[in-house]
Amino acid sequence: MSEEPKTIGHDPTLPVSSEPDAPEDKDDKKRGPMIVGLAVFIALLAVFAIWIRTSVHGAAERIAHPDAPEISKVAVADNSEVAYCTPAFKGVLQRVLNSCGLVGTESRRGCQPADVKTFASISDEDFNALFTPLKDRGAVILFDEGKDDLDEAAKKLVEEKWQERKGARYFFVVARASKTGTADANRALSHRRANSVMLDLQNILPRDPDLDKQVGLLWLGNEFAQLGKNYCDWPSSRDEKKVKCSEETINRSAFVSWVDCRL
Amino acid sequence: MRTGIRWAAALCLVGAVLGAVFAAYSTSDYAAHLDRQVHAVHCSFIPGASVDSDEANPCKAALFSPYSAILRQTYWGGIPISLAALGCFAFFAALGLYLLLAPVRAPRRAVQLLGVSGFLPLCASIVMFGISLTQLHAFCKVCVGIYASSIIVAIAAVLAWLALAREKKESSMRPAGKWLVLVGGVAALGVASLVPAVVYAASMPDYTPYLTSCGVLAQSTEGHNALLKIPTTQPKRQVILFEDPLCPTCKAFHERLVSEGIFEKLDVTLALFPLDSECNWMLDRSLHAGACVLSKAVLCGGNRARAVLEWAYDNQEDLRAVGKQGQTGLKERVGKQFGAEVSTCIDDKATSVRLNQQLQFAATNRIPVSTPQMYMVSGGDKTKLMRVCDEDTDLGLKFAMGKLAPEVLP
Repeated sequence: MSEEPKTIGHDPTLPVSSEPDAPEDKDDKKRGPMIVGLAVFIALLAVFAIWIRTSVHGAAERIAHPDAPEISKVAVADNSEVAYCTPAFKGVLQRVLNSCGLVGTESRRGCQPADVKTFASISDEDFNALFTPLKDRGAVILFDEGKDDLDEAAKKLVEEKWQERKGARYFFVVARASKTGTADANRALSHRRANSVMLDLQNILPRDPDLDKQVGLLWLGNEFAQLGKNYCDWPSSRDEKKVKCSEETINRSAFVSWVDCRL
Repeated sequence: MRTGIRWAAALCLVGAVLGAVFAAYSTSDYAAHLDRQVHAVHCSFIPGASVDSDEANPCKAALFSPYSAILRQTYWGGIPISLAALGCFAFFAALGLYLLLAPVRAPRRAVQLLGVSGFLPLCASIVMFGISLTQLHAFCKVCVGIYASSIIVAIAAVLAWLALAREKKESSMRPAGKWLVLVGGVAALGVASLVPAVVYAASMPDYTPYLTSCGVLAQSTEGHNALLKIPTTQPKRQVILFEDPLCPTCKAFHERLVSEGIFEKLDVTLALFPLDSECNWMLDRSLHAGACVLSKAVLCGGNRARAVLEWAYDNQEDLRAVGKQGQTGLKERVGKQFGAEVSTCIDDKATSVRLNQQLQFAATNRIPVSTPQMYMVSGGDKTKLMRVCDEDTDLGLKFAMGKLAPEVLP
């Protein structure tokens, strides 16, 4: 086991001296590389161990004390918010929602002209102007004179508009009445028209638990924010009768639309 | 004659240093994720090259795969196998250095130690290569670096045997040395492979408090019954999954749940959340064009909904390319796979309304706009669904399930 190899003298790593090594020197020279190897082995393991410990502790430290700027801002799912949601528009809607029972109360009651006038704090023209961007999103449901029932085209259009919800949260129904007649009668008529749309939605969605929390009813009678003839070119349930459209007929209506604002 | 041993030693040293560098990069990437944040991952043959945050990065796929670590149920994220490689290459670096310094004086047992143990990294690499080939279908460059290093060490082992054979032939036998050298060497290799893993495990913080820190679902039911029930064989724990058929992370998550044997034990309700602005108003541009069409296809799948979803996952890359060209091609692919009934149903107004109701459900709950997401019934209250944090759906999945819902683990 301990015999020396014959040709060891040819190895360039051997000492130049021809003198035989002392036994202790021989042992030292044998052990030298082994000690180096062992030292490197232990040193490497120690370095790796320290590095691993530092890395893991660093991660633990980052969890315990997150560096705020490095935390990514993750977007949160929400209802849509489009360009027409100006602060003025949202302000009016918010006041209407608060006052008309859609927010913060269990039962919806809707808004009548006096409520809108009071809570919206806005002129008739400005009120209508706020809804102008909804021209393509909504539609005008037209009624016969003195009537509050929806014809088939109206029902179809209400359903169509309802289904085009996308990211909106609130569906508004703004009913009006007539240029003629008493304020009380027109207020009642516009109320019935708004209710007709609501009843129709309840028929389409008989068990929709969200309906009362989504639909905002406003009835303006002939007292507030009446429509001008320029609204005749808005999408309506009676397109074929547009030729007969007048300021009188366009107000026998309920404007329906989803509103893409976060309120 | 002694040149053979020198070559073997030098190769062993080079292979070991190279292997240790690649293993260190892999370990470093793994350890960085222990802070439960998202990090870019090294993926280059050139050590030190820039990190890559691409979702399709194969090194990331390998890192998040169930094969990158062991003891995942005991330790959050498990113990990365790169730690064993790190210790193992430290051993070979020392052995190579020793043989290089003492090519003549080193006993035969020391050379035999290299000859025997030098094949171990190669054996491990062959197993991991097989997994990459058959399970991951991708090759991580850092892993390939380790495979190459293992081959170099194995070549060194072959050279060591050849040198010993030549010495025997030339009757220039070196001292045999004690058996202890061989046995002790193998033991040292074992210790070296274990030490980094032990240090890693001992240094880990307690992750249990973080598992329940991601909030709860404000509204656990959808009023219109629009969510989709996915039948499983042994439903034990109610979960709601928000998924996108074209999202690679959703695909990986789904595959992870299936491969870990968890999916079949979940009572799954699916809420589709396509990251496609065609139907999802929460995005200003489509991240996965065509995901709306495929989400509708899943809804139209009826009792084949899971099959449609898994088909979309299996063909995701291809379907994403088709989706970028427009909806027609996708509808044709769906029709070809699942019939005209499903493809016609995609255009049905009612399907759009149902998908919109699912998106509204997400908006009502104000969930993060990202997929996948898992909400799980926690405790006795079945109406309270706790959000499983994103990091607990990938690296920490088994650990999190072990703590939150042990009954879903096999």
